[in-house]
Amino acid sequence: MQGTGSLEPGAALDAAPERARVVPSWAAALLKALVPWAAIIAVWEAAALAGWSGAVLFPPPSAFIAFAIQSDFRVGFGRESMTIPVAIVASALRVLAGLAVGFVAAVVTGILISTSKTVSDMVLPVIRGLAPIAPIAWIPLGIVLFGIGNPTAVFVVFMGVYFILTISTVAAVNTVDRRLIKTARSYGASKSQVWTRVIFPAVLPEVFTMLRINFFAAWMAVLAAEMVGLKNGLGMMIILGREMFNTKLILLGMCMVGATGYLVDALLVQIQRKVLWWQQAR
Amino acid sequence: MKTLSCQHVGKVWMSPGGLSVQALKDVSLTVQQGEFVAILGPTGCGKSTLLEMIAGLEPTTSGRILFDGKQVTGPEPGVVMVFQEHSLFPWLSVRDNVGFGLSVKRVVSAERERRVDQVIDRVRLTRFGRHRPHQLSGGMKQRVAIARALVENPDFIMMDEPFAALDFQTRVLMQRFLLEIWLEFRPTIIFVTHHIDEAVLLADRVVVMSAGPGRIIEEVRIDLARPRRMTDSGFNDYRARLTELMECEVMRAYAEDDAGAISDAG
Repeated sequence: MQGTGSLEPGAALDAAPERARVVPSWAAALLKALVPWAAIIAVWEAAALAGWSGAVLFPPPSAFIAFAIQSDFRVGFGRESMTIPVAIVASALRVLAGLAVGFVAAVVTGILISTSKTVSDMVLPVIRGLAPIAPIAWIPLGIVLFGIGNPTAVFVVFMGVYFILTISTVAAVNTVDRRLIKTARSYGASKSQVWTRVIFPAVLPEVFTMLRINFFAAWMAVLAAEMVGLKNGLGMMIILGREMFNTKLILLGMCMVGATGYLVDALLVQIQRKVLWWQQAR
Repeated sequence: MKTLSCQHVGKVWMSPGGLSVQALKDVSLTVQQGEFVAILGPTGCGKSTLLEMIAGLEPTTSGRILFDGKQVTGPEPGVVMVFQEHSLFPWLSVRDNVGFGLSVKRVVSAERERRVDQVIDRVRLTRFGRHRPHQLSGGMKQRVAIARALVENPDFIMMDEPFAALDFQTRVLMQRFLLEIWLEFRPTIIFVTHHIDEAVLLADRVVVMSAGPGRIIEEVRIDLARPRRMTDSGFNDYRARLTELMECEVMRAYAEDDAGAISDAG
């Protein structure tokens, strides 16, 4: 069994089949992914058990998970009180909404810009000037414009990905295989059909890859926005921990941030594989 | 009779820096309906450009191209193009690739399905209708590309080195397959290749082009009965003659490149 190679169709031909079937490949992959995590947690827990003094500031999972269960997955007091599942869903939906709106808007803008050389020569410099602004830098402006609430978080994610994805759409349009365009035209596709039926599907996987790369920055921006303004979500949970000097809550929040980010990224990978599969196909 | 005629066709490429390159010069060629014509020439002789101009994908700089008496100004219905590998749309299934032309022309779906079924059966890919291009072998991909052309009931099929990316065995099978198709449907085929054997094996007539600027230097009619075999006695004579023509051209093009390089340097 050589790792993920066995996922390829036809790979069964060059692997020894009877050995390859003993452990299903997904189970082997899961096992490989979990072993390092298990080792990290084991060392952490062992250190705490052995009386490591840092365990107060750096409580192990057994401590902060027990804390979460004891508090009935509810943290904070009064207006700042929230349940952990709600915080996770709030943060994840904010980033997903921003990514979705940003992706669609960027692909549409990128394609519209590319239809005219003059327009792209004029618009691209503006976009290239705005793209380097970090998503986090848009937070103050978002709060001024939209106040405290979900639109601000979506705005921050949107600004964080929109410009970069527009640039990558324009780049992807320029590298679409000329033969595909010529083939389409030879079979009677009109100019607009070439855009909708060849160029549009051809650029999607590449732009989506850029989206995935920029997801992490967008995720961090959402958390930062929650910390400084929105007063809920996973970012706020970490800030609550700091305010109450509750290191269990801080670490619990950090773990949730990592796990949720991992799951959203895994979701993006699945979309890439199942919906936009033709990039790895080529 | 739908005749194709190229009259003194020339093509000049302009680079953004204002340099111009004469790619084709004074090309005149007439192709009768039902003919199988191979265009043979070294790399860079402009044979692909000529094909694209005939297909209406590229404007001519001088001269004109007439199809059925009318000047070609854009892609004509009934004239279709088959490129090398990788010209299938990777996001469409085999069936949707084959039906692409009908679908952009808004042929109703029942009619489209029927015609797709027919040709897909003819190229023996019925079992692979729902497959995607990356799941197919090189030869199968080219059969899909041919099916995509056939479904249009074309008068002219332009083929730009369609088998160049295939291994030898697949290439031989595909050449036979193409002849079968040609004998059955009798479209006019213009087939660009740089393979001498392929040209002699397939074509009624071989048009030999020279490089820099591309022009026609010779037309050779292949008077061999079909099916032809590379071991036929007459085959070698044609092969020898075309090889000689090509070698002369390649040597001349090299000599000119060298001369050009020296004068550029000086």
